Amino acid sequence: MRQGPADRLTEDDRRRFEELFLRHLDAAYNLARWIVRHDQDARDVVQNAYVRAFKGFQRFSGGDKSRAWFLTIVRNAAYDWIKKHGPEEKFIPYDEEKHGDIISIKKFNDEFASEERRQQLKHALERLPLELREVIILFELECLTYKELAVALEIPIGTVMSRLSRARRRLRKDEEYGT
Amino acid sequence: MDCNEVNRFLDAYVDGEIELTRQVDVEAHLASCSECERAVEAATKFRRSIKMNKPVYKAPPELEAEVRAALRKVSKSEIRWIAELRRPLLYAAAILIVCLLCIAVWIATSKNQERALIAQAISNHSHSLLADHLLDFAAADRHLLKTWFTGKLDYFPPVADLSEAGYKLVGGRLDMLENRPVAAIVYSHQDHVINEFVWPAGRRTIDFDVQAHQGYSMCGWNKSGFNYLIISDLSQENIETFEDQIRERTE
Repeated sequence: MRQGPADRLTEDDRRRFEELFLRHLDAAYNLARWIVRHDQDARDVVQNAYVRAFKGFQRFSGGDKSRAWFLTIVRNAAYDWIKKHGPEEKFIPYDEEKHGDIISIKKFNDEFASEERRQQLKHALERLPLELREVIILFELECLTYKELAVALEIPIGTVMSRLSRARRRLRKDEEYGT
Repeated sequence: MDCNEVNRFLDAYVDGEIELTRQVDVEAHLASCSECERAVEAATKFRRSIKMNKPVYKAPPELEAEVRAALRKVSKSEIRWIAELRRPLLYAAAILIVCLLCIAVWIATSKNQERALIAQAISNHSHSLLADHLLDFAAADRHLLKTWFTGKLDYFPPVADLSEAGYKLVGGRLDMLENRPVAAIVYSHQDHVINEFVWPAGRRTIDFDVQAHQGYSMCGWNKSGFNYLIISDLSQENIETFEDQIRERTE
């Protein structure tokens, strides 16, 4: 038997919910795809996240926080998916020595956009451990603030800051800024 | 701030997420440290470079339809809240039925008890009409009768004087009703004997209208903690009048 506040959701609620949250579909898919690293799995996670968010719709206070609120749910859904489907790397804390030299993006300091750059960054990101990968995704790609990151990851803001620094150092490891 | 500290807050500074007080400190340091300044510059460029080359996965076009379908399915099943309530409703119905059964059993039991009481009263009454069984103590005075009952029962039965109304107090005796000794107070009216049984109501109070069984009229009620049962071969109307008289004259 299902229970909880979802019992009282109506068709109107669904329409309102869709209007509010379907606009975050790309963001949700991107985040899920970066966490579970597989297209079909990411779709499942996104669907699941939408259903969860809908059921928790009445707990959503509204306003401009919908994006961060929803992405937190997507992240949780993705983590649950990982827990269920075998954690190859996921909860292993990042080991500086072991992973030290995996990534090398050379001369990433001049600014211009190119497909080559994009691919390079993608590969580098893919090799980051989940813990570091997700802070880059959430901050740089999904544009959450430090505060929203702290809520989503359930860590203090100071940890957000240091984790983000660490992730960037990993990405930027090259001659000039190597440790 | 020294270079180490600045390095620690460098990302927050570049991201514009640093607290204002720290920002001032960092900027003060940067003004005098070209190495840190270069580091900030590089970090800024790197960040912009990422922003410009975001490796973003775009949702596949059919995903939106899939999500909508999933949501519709959820909301459909959620809307059928009556289905969700079926079980609580069943519980409520079950509880109601049990309650009704209890009440029915209780009514049946008390009816049975009432029937047994009436049968016992009839038996007592008819027995009392046999020679020498009517009275243990003859008294036309209610105080005398009360005094006589004292010590023979574990309560003091109220005795009413109804002579003005044409009911002569004859006396009293001890009798058994509901498995306990009770006071039987005997009146006579136009040569008809009336037995009045009085006992403490306790938890079981009686209350039944005038009725006739085996040629006797009777009725029962409770007042001020006592059960009263009167029985006689008087007519039902007479019994009713007698009941009124007694009720009037007992506290």
